[in-house]
Amino acid sequence: MGIPENTELENELRKIADYIVTLRREISVLQANEIHMRKIPAAGQELAAVVSSTEGATNEIMAIAEAVLSADASDPVAYKALVDKEMMALFESCAFQDLTGQRISRVVKTLEHIEARVSRFANYTGVEDQPGHANEQEADAAARREKLLLHGPSIADDGNTQPMIDRLLAALKSQ
Amino acid sequence: MATDTGMPILVVDDYKTMIRIIRNLLKQLGFEDVDEAADGKEALGKLKEKKYGLVISDWNMEPMTGYELLREVRADPDLAKTPFIMVTAESKTENVVAAKKAGVNNYIVKPFNAATLKNKIDSVFTPAA
Repeated sequence: MGIPENTELENELRKIADYIVTLRREISVLQANEIHMRKIPAAGQELAAVVSSTEGATNEIMAIAEAVLSADASDPVAYKALVDKEMMALFESCAFQDLTGQRISRVVKTLEHIEARVSRFANYTGVEDQPGHANEQEADAAARREKLLLHGPSIADDGNTQPMIDRLLAALKSQ
Repeated sequence: MATDTGMPILVVDDYKTMIRIIRNLLKQLGFEDVDEAADGKEALGKLKEKKYGLVISDWNMEPMTGYELLREVRADPDLAKTPFIMVTAESKTENVVAAKKAGVNNYIVKPFNAATLKNKIDSVFTPAA
């Protein structure tokens, strides 16, 4: 009687041990440390650089527009020379788009890298999403967003266009 | 009745770039007396110090949002009648409905152009019959 019981227990333990070994392999494939230590900070730096360069370019372009708008047009030759100079500066300012495009592509690749590994891990372990938040800070931020209707910019058909908003306001006014 | 281009306007946005854009557009429309604030809290302080003819505010700001500013303004008897235009990327129906219920005079979704800004300002001061 004792031997079959031990064999059964041994088989169960072997299954658990195999599962742990595979789980450890899957966790290592997840590259959590690589993601946490290198990929996420690098993506954050890329996005910060995008924000900085777009802001810089926008300010340069606005300064050009302000210079042209406030220029003295009484001397056509001097005015033309100034406009030509400022338009060249405007073309130069637009060069930011190439670099920001490359930076954003790298961030998208990082997100795809993380998505592939997290999906593979979730599929393997069979874990299901649980409602709720990871911590109190995250819960507070979500509650604030919900209370103050902070959705951010809409994508494609997710929000209303200006004409739709105008019609909505008119309808609300007539109520 | 034409819109008074001499009235003081308070522009509220946490992005300096957007304030500069709105300030330039207002200048092109003839409005020269423009002040700025970086969020609702700073705006509320300025509104209590100076009488403004119009508030143009973003929605999503820290620590006080434009929506909270609008409700504070409407709840204050001294400020309640100040015209208020929301200029925001928040374009969902629930945002527009909430802003209207809170007493917004007009609502502009970003990105916008000078013609839209002019049209919305004019419609606040010269409502259709």
